[in-house]
Amino acid sequence: MSPAGCAHVNAYKVDNWRQNLRVIYQCFVWSGSAETRRRKVLQNDVRWTALAKSCICHMCGAHLNRLHSCLSCVFFGCFTKKHIHEHAKNKRHNLAIDLLYGGIYCFVCQDYIYDKEMEQIAKEEQRKAWKLQGVGEKYSTWEPTKRELELLRHNPKRRKITTNCTIGLRGLINLGNTCFMNCIVQALTHTPLLRDFFLSDRHKCEMQSNSCLVCEMSQLFQEFYSGHRWPHIPFRLLHLVWTHARHLAGYEQQDAHEFLIAALDVLHRHCKGDTTRDDNGKKANNPNHCSCIIDQIFTGGLQSDVTCQVCHGVSTTIDPFWDISLDLPGSSTPFWPLSPGGDGSTVNGESHLSGATTLTDCLRRFTRPEHLGSSAKIKCGGCHSYQESTKQLTMKKLPIVACFHLKRFEHSAKLRRKITTYVSFPLELDMTPFIASSKESRMNGQYQQTVEVLNNDNKYSLFNSPRSLSVCCGGVGILCLTLHGLCLCVSCGGADIICLTVCVLWWSRYSLFNCLCVVVEQVFSV
Amino acid sequence: MSKDSKMRATINQKLTEMGERERLKELLRSKLTECGWRDQLKAHCKDVIKEKGLEHVTVEDLVVEITPKGRVLVPDSVKKELLQRIRAFLAQHAT
Repeated sequence: MSPAGCAHVNAYKVDNWRQNLRVIYQCFVWSGSAETRRRKVLQNDVRWTALAKSCICHMCGAHLNRLHSCLSCVFFGCFTKKHIHEHAKNKRHNLAIDLLYGGIYCFVCQDYIYDKEMEQIAKEEQRKAWKLQGVGEKYSTWEPTKRELELLRHNPKRRKITTNCTIGLRGLINLGNTCFMNCIVQALTHTPLLRDFFLSDRHKCEMQSNSCLVCEMSQLFQEFYSGHRWPHIPFRLLHLVWTHARHLAGYEQQDAHEFLIAALDVLHRHCKGDTTRDDNGKKANNPNHCSCIIDQIFTGGLQSDVTCQVCHGVSTTIDPFWDISLDLPGSSTPFWPLSPGGDGSTVNGESHLSGATTLTDCLRRFTRPEHLGSSAKIKCGGCHSYQESTKQLTMKKLPIVACFHLKRFEHSAKLRRKITTYVSFPLELDMTPFIASSKESRMNGQYQQTVEVLNNDNKYSLFNSPRSLSVCCGGVGILCLTLHGLCLCVSCGGADIICLTVCVLWWSRYSLFNCLCVVVEQVFSV
Repeated sequence: MSKDSKMRATINQKLTEMGERERLKELLRSKLTECGWRDQLKAHCKDVIKEKGLEHVTVEDLVVEITPKGRVLVPDSVKKELLQRIRAFLAQHAT
């Protein structure tokens, strides 16, 4: 079926056909509820009102059976029962539209036809309807542009991804205590959104010199997906990181988490060329609303509410964050003990096996109201004096990829101590109890039962795609675990990727975009 | 119209008016994608197209091939859940 449509469409394309077609899409195909339909109909043409009260077949009254609407007059007919076919034959109206999906059927060609102009109208109307319904932009499959088709024709070599292939996996040579860097690099290369961004060539470099870290990242992805099986030597990446994040330079073993933040920062700074431009072609220069890929993926908003104990006035600030640093039990600051089974601790389906700490426990501690004490009085804007207050942190905006940093290094007056408490983390994490609006409704006295959350907006899955789970473990022998296909791959921050077989690891093949990247610093025993 | 189809039409009307139909559609869409139904049928479509040849295949061919398979492959859990939702909705809005 060619995109030029069929010859019979031309007979339809007369007079005000575009507007008529739009009305049909607005009223009957993409309209949603009967109410909007009624409204749209009244808006557009009174003639439609009487005849188009509800979308049912004019011959048998059924609403199922692939209802079609004639394009040339107001007639609805079933496709399955051939009612619309009869109408087409009797009236010689050759075109009809499928009310479910908006496809145009030509009775002479006896098939659905694809006319570029009509498709364009259909897409526009669908987008408008989504906007009205509050859905915003929905995922639509990739349609290549002319240029892309040209490129595809000129480069006929195709790479097929089978279930057992190792494309996307590559070992990294340790350049001297750089296992911390290698781990983070492995985690980043397995982040699907980042991978998609780089593999679809979205970075437009505006740096004059060769020191753009984003370009280097792009190269790195090319190396990872090249299909080469020998380990890659990321010396250029290391050099660039040293150049741009001086505090990480040197051959000392560094903190993986520190590296992650530094890397994200440099990438964010170097992404300037990719920020969106507004309608005048000027770049959005607002540092608070950066739309680079790093911010889109990793930036969340942390809300800090300070409540004055005297006047109960709340002062709120929202700060952007790339990671959430969680305290662990066993540190000198007292951990908030949580009894299993209390106040919905079955959220996230974690069981408290022998009192093991879970990630949810840490999050609960992080978002608990903290009394600031008499030695840390805050000046209250309401009372105009220094008062005692409580402070509480909640998530205002959840990032698409959430990075949790477990603070395993305790800095006391004497030395740096490593906390080795075992922390378990779930395969699926529901952040709903920790977001700002949950806390607000709790404060307003609405007790939230652990209701089955029908919308998945706040849920994170540890498996972000059928092929990757990223867990970075730092410390002695930094490991990065990625789940590739059916094999659990362990990269010891080094060159070899050891593949272990995994028997029982469930993953959600069609999971949501949200994914969880946990940066823990513990020796992970496999 | 038989009593059965009359009832169907009434239920459908009620669902559409309250916007529940769209919500159910979305729920069904995500459930079927999650359980892999969509991809299975997509693969089947590709097979049919290969068989019939890209130039000669019509949408009707696909519909005829896919519909029975599609109906069979819907997991019971999804059917149960949708049914539950509809029942709950009707119970809530019974006239």
